[in-house]
Order: sequence, then C-alpha cells, then structure tokens
Amino acid sequence: MMDKRLTKVLSAGVFLTALLVPAMAFAAEVTAPVAWQEAVGKALAAGLAMGLSALGAAYAQAKIGSAGAGTLAERPEVAIWVITLQALPEVIVLLGFVSAIMIKG
Amino acid sequence: MSAQVATKAPTPGRDYGYGNARVRGMRSRLLTAHYFDELMCHTDISKIIGMLIQTGYGPDIETAIIHGRTPAAMDEALRANMVENFQKVMGFLNAEAHTLVGTLLGRWDMFNVKSIIRGKHMHLKPEEIEDGLYAVGALTPTDLHVLVGLEDIRAVVDTLVTWESPYAVPLRENLAAYGEGGNLATLELALDRYYFSWAASRLTGRRSNTVLARRILGLQADSVNLLTVFRLLKSDIGDIDPKSFFLPGGAHVDEALFSTLAAMSDVDEVLDGLKNTPYARQLEAVIATYVDEGSLSVFERALEDFVMRKALDAGRGDPLGVGITIGYLWAKQNEITNLRIIVKGTSVGMPADRMRKELILV
Repeated sequence: MMDKRLTKVLSAGVFLTALLVPAMAFAAEVTAPVAWQEAVGKALAAGLAMGLSALGAAYAQAKIGSAGAGTLAERPEVAIWVITLQALPEVIVLLGFVSAIMIKG
Repeated sequence: MSAQVATKAPTPGRDYGYGNARVRGMRSRLLTAHYFDELMCHTDISKIIGMLIQTGYGPDIETAIIHGRTPAAMDEALRANMVENFQKVMGFLNAEAHTLVGTLLGRWDMFNVKSIIRGKHMHLKPEEIEDGLYAVGALTPTDLHVLVGLEDIRAVVDTLVTWESPYAVPLRENLAAYGEGGNLATLELALDRYYFSWAASRLTGRRSNTVLARRILGLQADSVNLLTVFRLLKSDIGDIDPKSFFLPGGAHVDEALFSTLAAMSDVDEVLDGLKNTPYARQLEAVIATYVDEGSLSVFERALEDFVMRKALDAGRGDPLGVGITIGYLWAKQNEITNLRIIVKGTSVGMPADRMRKELILV
C-alpha cells in the first residue's frame, strides 16, 4: 500500500516537473524574472532537491535497516557488511545536498 | 487453544524485510547434500551423533542423549529442533505471513489431532502417542500434552470444543457415526476435508503471497486426492460414492477430474487422465519402479517429492514475499526427515545406497 502511494506521489512529481520546466523556460524567454522571483525559485528548487533526496535515503535506510536487523539476529558475523549497506543511501542525501548548493550557487 | 493467549502477537503489516533476512540466515545453516553424504559414510550411530552435535542440532541432541545414544533419543532431539525452529520463525513473521504460514502449518495440527485420536482408538499409552507429535501449528506442546492425557476420543473432542478449536467442528459432527461403527476413517476423512476447506477459505484473495500459499495448499490437496485415486484402484468400496473421499481446494485436480480418475481401472489409465496436469511427468517417471515393486508407496513418494520441490521453489523470484519462509520451513522439515532416515537406516544396517534413494536432497 505504502509502496503504491509513494509511486503515485513520485509519478505526479515527475509529471508536474515535466510540465513546469518548459513552461518556466518559455516564461523566461517572454519576460526575464525579477530578482526576487529568481531567488524564491532557486530556494524552492534547492529545498526540493535536498528534501526529496533525504526522503529517498530515509526510505532506503528503513528497508535496509529492518533487513539488516534480521540478518544480524541470525548472523552477527556479517555486521560490517550490514553497517556498510546501511550507510550507502547517505550518498543520495549528499548528492541532493550538492545539487542544492549548485542550484543556489 | 489453551496456551495461545500467552503467545506473542505477530508484527502488524506486510514488511517482509526483517523476517526474510532472518529466514535467509537460518537457511544458510541447513545441512548440505555433501554433509548428508558424509553422514551416510558412517556405520555407527555414535559417529553420526558426534557429527551432528557440532551443528545447530547440538543442544537438542545433548539434552536427548542423556538417557542413551539411541535412535529414539535422536528422534526426540530432531523433533525438538524442528518444533523450536518452526516456533521461532512464527514468532517473527509479520501479520500477513503469520496468517498464510499459520494456515499451511494447520496441517500439522490436523496431523497431531489425527495421531491422538488414532492413539486413543488403539488404546496406546500417552507416552507412545506423544512421541509422534509435532507441536508446530497452533496447538502448543502443552495443549497436545493435555489432549494426549485424556481418557478417550470423546474427551479429546470435548476439550477441543471447549478450546474453540476449528478441528472440533468435524470431529463433533462425526463422533456419533464413529461411535456406531467404530470406523476411525470416518473421523480422519472428516478432519482432512475440514482442514482443506478451512484453509482454502482463509487463503482467498489476489495478492501474490496469498496466491502462492493457496498454490502450495492446492498441491497438497491434489497429492492426497491422487493417492486416494491410486488406493481406490486396489480396493473395493462397494456402493460408496468415490466423491465422498474427495478433498476440496486442489490446484489441478478438481472434483470432476477426481471422479473420472476414480472410475478408472488401472494405473496407466489414471496417468493418461492426468496428462494435462503437472503430475503426469512426475508419476510416469516412477511407473517402472511401481511395476517392479508393486507398491503404491512409490507414487506416494513421487508426489511428496513433487510438492516438496514446489514448496522449496516458492522463495524464488520474490525476495520480499512469503515464499522465502514457506521454502525454508519445507526445507527444514525435509532435512529432519532425511536425518531420521539416516539415523534409523544406520541403526538397522541399511546400505548407504538404499538410504540415498530415500532422501530428498536439494
């Protein structure tokens, strides 16, 4: 159920982005945005990049965490692997962070 | 049941990540085909016990062999290990998996209730009955101990009614018929029919996990129905309608096909009638052995093998589904059966080749 809801939200997000980006580009050609509009737009985009990547990483870590806990209960000898896998989704947040910096910069 | 109140409720939801990871960990400790080969090299049961004591069976074996290194003690240890493993798995399953797997394990409850009423019918001692029970379903070891200690079949049925056990329903309905003729098959058939109807009614829906569990149940029902067909070939049932032996919930053998097969006169005709089902190839492969040995146990073994392999394959394809658990439980049961064959075979001097034929190695 949760997976289906998440898929719907993500699909809607992609669809809206696909609509908005050309519209914004078109709008930019017609009239150059004023400074405050550009600042708000960049802030929103940076916020979305950071927030959505954090949500994605959290979802991945939740799944890996529950499976990792199960693995550790039966095979404590693979703890290092579980910790490594648990840390991997952090990269998604880092990428989001870098994207946000680039948008703002 | 009496002790069910105290058991832990399953984790709500359908998150299979935790449970399947644990099951995979447990599966990694199952014995390999190579290990079974090594076990069969020994002709002394003490050496087999020495090897097994170094595996996960160690604690149970150490407890059981206090009274001697006998096959009976090993049987007790293996049974205890299986019960512990099954209960452990049931303890960490999520709510959906708990319902699905619990329904499939209901066959062990049925097996236990049948063993108890059979024991009571034959006036066996409570210890003798208890030796053959596996408390891996909803009936706990305490429940089974209470039932075994009761005086007769009527008392067993009354107690199950008090516990509101689903198995009380068919037993209570057929107790009068059993009392008149003293025919135990009446109660056993009623239990079988009830279990498969009850389980099929719990496994409805289109979710992939439910469909998988229903398929396994269907294969089990088919297996029993086909065995009944083969037995009917060799027996004269007079005016009794063969349909009365049919068990519902089958995957490939419905009531119409069962009636057709039951009306046939020999094994070849039955196999021909099954040509559109997945059982045909499996049964045709053992027809030569059947001709040599003349025993229906050849077909029984082939069908068991088929259901076992299908259950073991259940975990393939969906790493976050109930199939992983179903596959493990069947693999564990198969491992216990294999070990019992090796222990008993070695104790009576059975050659390794003969033992190897009896094992299902996966």
